Amino acid sequence: MNWFFDIVNFLLPEMIVIATILLSVVLTFLLKEKGQKSIYLICLTGVLFSIVSFAFIPAQPYVALLGSFLSADFTVFFRALIALGTLFVLFMSKRYTWNYGIWRGEFFILLLTATLGAMLLVAASDFIMLFVAIETLSLSSYALCGYTKNDRLSNEAAMKYLVVGASSSAIMLFGVSYLYGIFGETNILKIMEMLLGYEPNFTLVFALLLMLGGFLYKISAVPFHMWTPDVYEGAPIPVAAYLSVVSKIAGFAILIRLIPLFVTTAMLWSFIIAIIAVITMSVGNLVAIVQKNVKRLMAYSSIAHAGYMLLGLALFTKLGVSGVVFYLITYLFMNIGAWAGIEIFINQSGKAQIEDFKGLAYSQPYLALGLTVCLISLAGIPLTAGFLGKFYLFQTIAFSGVWGFVFLFFALINTVVAMYYYLKIVRQMFKQVAPVLRLDVVPKSISLNTILAFSAFCVVFIGIFSSPIIQLAQQISLNGAGLGILN
Amino acid sequence: MEHLSLNILLFLPLIFCVIIAGPWFPNHEVQIRRTAKAFASLLFVYSIFFVALFDFTKIGYQLIETIEFANGQRWFEPIGASFELGIDGLSLILVVLTSFIVLLASIASKPTIRKRHKLYYSMLFLLTFAILGVFLAKDLFLFFLFWELELIPMYFLISIWGSGRKEYSAMKFVLYTFLGSIFMLASILALYFYNFGQTGNLTFDISAYNAINAPFILSLLCFIGFFIAFAVKVPIVPFHTWLPDAHVDAPTPISMILAGILLKMGGYGLIRFNLGFFPEIIKFLAPILVILGVINIIYGALIALVQDDLKKLVAYSSVSHMGIVLLGLGALSVVGVSGAVFQMVAHGVISAGLFMAVGIIYLRCHTRQISEFGGLGQVMPRAMYFTLIITLASLGLPLLIGFAAETLVFYGAFTSNFASNAILSNIPIQVWSVIGIFGIILTAAYLLWMIQKVFYGNMFEKWKNIHDLTPHEVVVMLAIVTVIVVFGLYPTGVTHIFIPTVKGLLSNIIL
Repeated sequence: MNWFFDIVNFLLPEMIVIATILLSVVLTFLLKEKGQKSIYLICLTGVLFSIVSFAFIPAQPYVALLGSFLSADFTVFFRALIALGTLFVLFMSKRYTWNYGIWRGEFFILLLTATLGAMLLVAASDFIMLFVAIETLSLSSYALCGYTKNDRLSNEAAMKYLVVGASSSAIMLFGVSYLYGIFGETNILKIMEMLLGYEPNFTLVFALLLMLGGFLYKISAVPFHMWTPDVYEGAPIPVAAYLSVVSKIAGFAILIRLIPLFVTTAMLWSFIIAIIAVITMSVGNLVAIVQKNVKRLMAYSSIAHAGYMLLGLALFTKLGVSGVVFYLITYLFMNIGAWAGIEIFINQSGKAQIEDFKGLAYSQPYLALGLTVCLISLAGIPLTAGFLGKFYLFQTIAFSGVWGFVFLFFALINTVVAMYYYLKIVRQMFKQVAPVLRLDVVPKSISLNTILAFSAFCVVFIGIFSSPIIQLAQQISLNGAGLGILN
Repeated sequence: MEHLSLNILLFLPLIFCVIIAGPWFPNHEVQIRRTAKAFASLLFVYSIFFVALFDFTKIGYQLIETIEFANGQRWFEPIGASFELGIDGLSLILVVLTSFIVLLASIASKPTIRKRHKLYYSMLFLLTFAILGVFLAKDLFLFFLFWELELIPMYFLISIWGSGRKEYSAMKFVLYTFLGSIFMLASILALYFYNFGQTGNLTFDISAYNAINAPFILSLLCFIGFFIAFAVKVPIVPFHTWLPDAHVDAPTPISMILAGILLKMGGYGLIRFNLGFFPEIIKFLAPILVILGVINIIYGALIALVQDDLKKLVAYSSVSHMGIVLLGLGALSVVGVSGAVFQMVAHGVISAGLFMAVGIIYLRCHTRQISEFGGLGQVMPRAMYFTLIITLASLGLPLLIGFAAETLVFYGAFTSNFASNAILSNIPIQVWSVIGIFGIILTAAYLLWMIQKVFYGNMFEKWKNIHDLTPHEVVVMLAIVTVIVVFGLYPTGVTHIFIPTVKGLLSNIIL
């Protein structure tokens, strides 16, 4: 009965999500088209309960499920963050799915399955568990990308995501198989222990390189970023928001947890990851400048943000990790807000080019205000969360010494470039146009407006009072699972 | 007197901004404008009280106020930044200048701002909030925060209410300043990191970094980082190209603020940080400052000579006059640096007046080409007299404020016993200041030529029907002229505020 104890105590949120999924599956088959609306409410309630249930998880670190699931401050925090992100995405998808009739339930089931995968991924402490979790997340995401079956772009997105995703999963698995070959063990925590007495050699470096590739794909870092713009453009907007926030948070969380694997050859990896980070942010920002479609712009912007965070991660210090954690929190709010604003706009106008935002500040001042707050936060202007996220992250990078400053310099130059294209959207919104008769055929979506308002509020609030949140980030990176090796 | 608080002074404009921006405020043009003027006057009066409260004999920050959490933690405990405000002579004079120019700008907004009044006045007060924050911050983090915050309202103010290529200019302004400020951020972080290594304290407190005893290379790099950020803002010549664009395309009141206050942020930073933090480095690099200053003076004046656009002419005269600030700073004597501060104040008032004059003419004639004017003095004599006084102050006529400032600077530079650095420049500072004085002759040339072309001579038929100043404009011009004349006759009224502070800052340098 030990496993039952584990599940009730430490996997309660996951169990609630699973129960919600099962209930939704049954209801999807049973209910008529009209009744399908209730599935949304059920999923919402399920995720809410799941978030609440994090409060009941015992605080002490514990390895559950025969060593394949780690429950500690760090993983609990990230699972909760993922559930929170999913809650936002659920709110965003209510309007999107409203005319999909009997297929409506499908969307929510897939979304929750992906969330389940992400939550398990963050806490996985065994490579088997890790692989199963990452595939659960990925497969559901592929299906979600192709949810709008009649849309050519959506199908293309799903296909591209599937092909790139499957191949990078294979590469990652190949790397993991080498690790198994070296250590004869799939348990990550045990491998970390064995590594301490292990003389680094080429095989180990090669295995880690392959494994790293799989995760770089999840966070859309540069050599593996090609899918991002196409997928974000074609996928349903809530799914794009989900990929850019929740999926990315999960990818960073597991990458942080795997840092101890890189410690024996830390100098090398630190350098490699820092170089990748600089290239990632430069490519993301430079290509974003020339984008005309706002979804593609957001895709490149999310690549750039992954670059900043990767640079913090490359330090391999607890301070650096706390910088990444805090950045992820701010990123969650500002990116969800920006996507919500974009979704409201696209719902109403049906257009997604940056030029189409012209005059938005005059026709819908509050939408423009919310979107502007989120965009200038992404650009890193003070009194928003984005500024403090960047400042704190850069501060941690500065603490790593002279080399840190060299890389910091690239990051700083990149923020200037980023400023340009975020302001480009803002500029369009505040351009005066001859008053046109706007046909507001689409009624206002309260849930979307709420999400935008809430995110904008949080962005400003964190921008002013972030001290407790940074302390939380520092605390969980100090007590982070398996991070004890770092200094 | 216990009701005077720097925090209230800082947050007053933010409160005004929220009051005006909120949906509760009626969207009625006249009401918004009157309220804004009342608010700006209140701010001005409140800032004047600080002059009375200020202890002129003390060196260093006074009236220090810190906002803390209830549990005694600093505002931003994990990185050691606190919400700490302080004021010394240097910031006091600039704070008063800020509230004065903002008041004038809000009065001058009436004829030029024709749309979206609510957004305009709330942005104006947000800008004021950011500028006051820059001058009052006693914490490097806070300073940097306000330094960056100022970009957003300025971007909107230029790009919505401007004219011509307004969006291009606004974007150029933001990107230039932002590009400059990242160098400052890198320097701040480097100093912060170094200080942590030395003392084990996480702090951004400005006083902790005064005359910091860092290794030469680190100090040099940090000096350069700060210098680039402020050089863009001042602007120093290779970095000045945003200024003509931004000035020309901004609406009149925003040009007044831009020239009157925003450029002073750069000068303030140079004195507070480059001089205060790195006395050893500035000793070494002062010849460069002097040379750059002289280049600014001559280059700005030469470009202004050939301008046909009235507003561009005034913009380049700003470049030229900010060069004088740099020259005074490079002299590194109490007289020279005091002259630099005085020149910042004088230029703040004078350039605001000049831009107001240009705005007045543009409003009536809808053109800024000097070649199209002539004889305007016949139809608008009051405008002519006011503009004449301001122009004369700008070219340094004795008994006006510009003369006092420039004399101080050139006297300070000429008598500076500071040896020229043999590595960087063999030419003594006296030679450079003499070259700089020739720039003043050029200033006289282009300004008098401008006055002559615009106000004297024969009048074109088409300007026959334009009217003279409205009461609003008379108030603004009269206020500016009053300051120019009063402090031209009695310069001690201004200088006694900041001379102790300047002495304090220079005490590390003068042996």
